[in-house]
Amino acid sequence: MIGLVLVCHGKMAEGLIDAMQLIAGEQKAVRGVGLYETEGVEDLMSKIQTAVDEVSGGEGVLIMVDLFGASPFNASARLALSSPGKSVEVVTGLNLPMLVELVTQWESMNLTEAVELVLKAGPEGIRRLSDIKGLEH
Amino acid sequence: MAVVHVRMDNRLIHGQILVSWNSALRLNRIIVCNDLVAKDQLQVAVLKAVAPAGVKVSILGIKETVDYCLSPEGEAEKIFILAKFPEDGLGLVENGLKLPVLNLGNQAYIRDSKKVSNTVFLTEKGVKALKKIHEAGIKITCRMLPDSPEDEFWPSIEKALPEWAK
Repeated sequence: MIGLVLVCHGKMAEGLIDAMQLIAGEQKAVRGVGLYETEGVEDLMSKIQTAVDEVSGGEGVLIMVDLFGASPFNASARLALSSPGKSVEVVTGLNLPMLVELVTQWESMNLTEAVELVLKAGPEGIRRLSDIKGLEH
Repeated sequence: MAVVHVRMDNRLIHGQILVSWNSALRLNRIIVCNDLVAKDQLQVAVLKAVAPAGVKVSILGIKETVDYCLSPEGEAEKIFILAKFPEDGLGLVENGLKLPVLNLGNQAYIRDSKKVSNTVFLTEKGVKALKKIHEAGIKITCRMLPDSPEDEFWPSIEKALPEWAK
């Protein structure tokens, strides 16, 4: 099974994991890393690496971050680019729909399939009430 | 035209900060300035990928940054220098770049740094570098965004870290 690491500003990763577990139950291969104002940015890469190592079962790790271009992304991207083979991928714009979709369907998925799933599920989770059949107003 | 702004920010390119500065200043080029970062191919690749659209990006060491800014090509461009640490800002000055003001835009906490403000944590070396900048008659501001005030920031450093600033 693949592993999952969430890297976000402040308590977002912790919060999303908490919310996700309320919905989908406890998940073993998931870790959260938060970037706080009083912590060193250079330590961020090694914290992410520790989390990646903890969840890695040899089949690859997906890192999901909150924002493109911010420090969680920059650190994760550098780590992914320096990881052997294609064992680590990074996806930005983390939201709860893509997280829940992933952990409820990922048992037999490889890293490529998991990435395709979240890239589809993320935007699909964003809907307007009036666009939903029967709920137009 | 050459250098229109020098920002010292140890998180380099992050968030929408450079997008805002680019909107205000209409830049031709951003030079990320730090000797170690310039040698790190992975950091160079990531920095180029996250830079704002429509602006050229170079990642150079201190001497190369000064050389470029003083060259005919550099003179013809509006350049924003993004130095990593105060020591890099000082290096630019000591290597011949004439600058009336340096913006200590953001210094995130790193080991051995102490708090000056919510956005500025400095090491002893950083304070010493800023002191030299101040003594050279160069204004030090602390501006996150283009509409931030342009007050002289050195007194705040002296007040927060008197032992290192003396």
